[in-house]
Amino acid sequence: MTSAPETVVALPAKPRRARSAGRTRTPAIVTAGIYLGLLVGAAVTLGPFLLSAMTAFKTPEQFAREDPLALPDPWSLTNMVSLITGPADFGRAIGVTLLMAVFVTVFQVSFSVLAGYAFARVDFPGREAMFWIYLSTLMVPAVVVVIPLYLMMVELGLRNTFWGLVLPFTFASPYAIFLLREYFRGIPQDVIDASRLDGANTLDTLVEVVVPMSKPIIATLVLITMVSQWNSFMWPLVVTSGSQWRVITVATASLQSQYNGNWTLVMSATTLALVPLILLFLLFQKQIVRSIAITGFR
Amino acid sequence: MLARRNAITGYSLLAPSLFGLICFLVFPVLIVLWLSFQQWDLISPARFVGLDNYRSVLSDPVFANSLMVTAVFVLIVIPIQTVLGLLVASWLTRGLPGSLVLRTIYVLPWICAPLALGVVWKWIFAPTDGALNAILGIRVEWLTNLDLALPAVCAVVIWTNVGYITLFFMAGLLNIPEHVIEAAAIDGASPFTTFWRVKLPLLRPTMFFVLVTSVISTFQIFDQVYALTGGGPQHRTDVIAARIYFEAFQTFDMGRAAVMAVVLLVILVGITLAQQLYFGRRTTYDLSS
Repeated sequence: MTSAPETVVALPAKPRRARSAGRTRTPAIVTAGIYLGLLVGAAVTLGPFLLSAMTAFKTPEQFAREDPLALPDPWSLTNMVSLITGPADFGRAIGVTLLMAVFVTVFQVSFSVLAGYAFARVDFPGREAMFWIYLSTLMVPAVVVVIPLYLMMVELGLRNTFWGLVLPFTFASPYAIFLLREYFRGIPQDVIDASRLDGANTLDTLVEVVVPMSKPIIATLVLITMVSQWNSFMWPLVVTSGSQWRVITVATASLQSQYNGNWTLVMSATTLALVPLILLFLLFQKQIVRSIAITGFR
Repeated sequence: MLARRNAITGYSLLAPSLFGLICFLVFPVLIVLWLSFQQWDLISPARFVGLDNYRSVLSDPVFANSLMVTAVFVLIVIPIQTVLGLLVASWLTRGLPGSLVLRTIYVLPWICAPLALGVVWKWIFAPTDGALNAILGIRVEWLTNLDLALPAVCAVVIWTNVGYITLFFMAGLLNIPEHVIEAAAIDGASPFTTFWRVKLPLLRPTMFFVLVTSVISTFQIFDQVYALTGGGPQHRTDVIAARIYFEAFQTFDMGRAAVMAVVLLVILVGITLAQQLYFGRRTTYDLSS
């Protein structure tokens, strides 16, 4: 289990210059071909985003009348407004999703920091065995535990509650613990000893010395956890019903089945679900790209 | 004394995560195993039925179809996205201006909600007012045609993953020491030969990582299938994860769904362990060469 992350190599922030550019000059025609390939790929990648956003801003009348590829004329916010304020209540869905993402991220990352530090720096009996158990839970696929988790939430009376939505993900992620352990092991023992000599206990040392020194990895985990929670679908679909605790992905799916064919409305929903993440991505582009390279996870 | 204090400190720090792991991962796996021997529709009480669920699921043509669909899905998606990722990565590591922006664009689908992207593509594939048929000037029922539905779902997943795969191959390519490439050039190797005989073998660790993680995640695909086809038409895109979901939460046959979950768990643990054995061997080989 330990091998996967070792194979991941740090991604330079900027692609290095071509190594052989000076010696074996690439013919201009080859370069042109490569650019053409890259641009076609980029167009195929961006196309669906742009087309769906365009559709979102059309009136249903224009969409019915004109070619699906026509530009919005006029640009209309009717769909968005009716989604957010209407019975679909996307305003609430966005709020619930945000609350879920922030709650899970804060607790999951904090509890993972505690465990990662214990594995990296506290020499307690049974440490290796415990770490092995933690790692082996990485093999359990989410879809396998969805059924028992649902039954547990029903038994606990937590079906269709906020707690039902967040509890399974609140207490830690084995993968985050693994990454934090690796990072903490890189912190020099002197720094920790110095803090201990000043009379700080383990928790003080962790909060005041270790965590500030580990900002990059913690920021990475925060971003990745936020993104994966915002995107999560299967668990919210299973554990919630009705609009009270409906998250944005579930709201989009149910709108899609309810208003099948009403594409301007449905594309407004996907745009609302996608835009916050796209903004987050553009803001933290470098960090997120690096995070993916480090963690290999969404 | 110190040992005891360390034990207390260690286990106090582990307490929250240990609680979470046991309650929400280990315990659920045990429940799935227990459930697989029960008949339960969530209404009448659960009843022990021995191996009946296993017999019923393993002889069920619908489940056999799901295994087949998932296998075909993995066999289409993995090679195509790996080759495309490698190709894009080799293009983006040439130091051409604009590479950074292009890399960002390619990664974009990966960070977006697969469910929302699935819904976007459902519109794109829509027969009368969808974008794809409008662009191509044809009228094809992409998602309801028996032969086109699975390739269409595969295309969406490949479209989502290529940028992610590219990132890893970029890192791998940039990590190849410059002198190795120079040596190949001095020996008169063409760029093509250099790629096949020098770069590709050196990319082996990256290749393993990419293949293993993407095989495991492709086996569990759900969101896109739910949005695009719901497993249809006629079960043609009914991947395992979708089958488990429908069996549990639409048919409410918990016992049968649990058996399917156990089968998926066995397959994925098998893949992980096999990759551990294989990878361990390969790493040693790499160091010695």
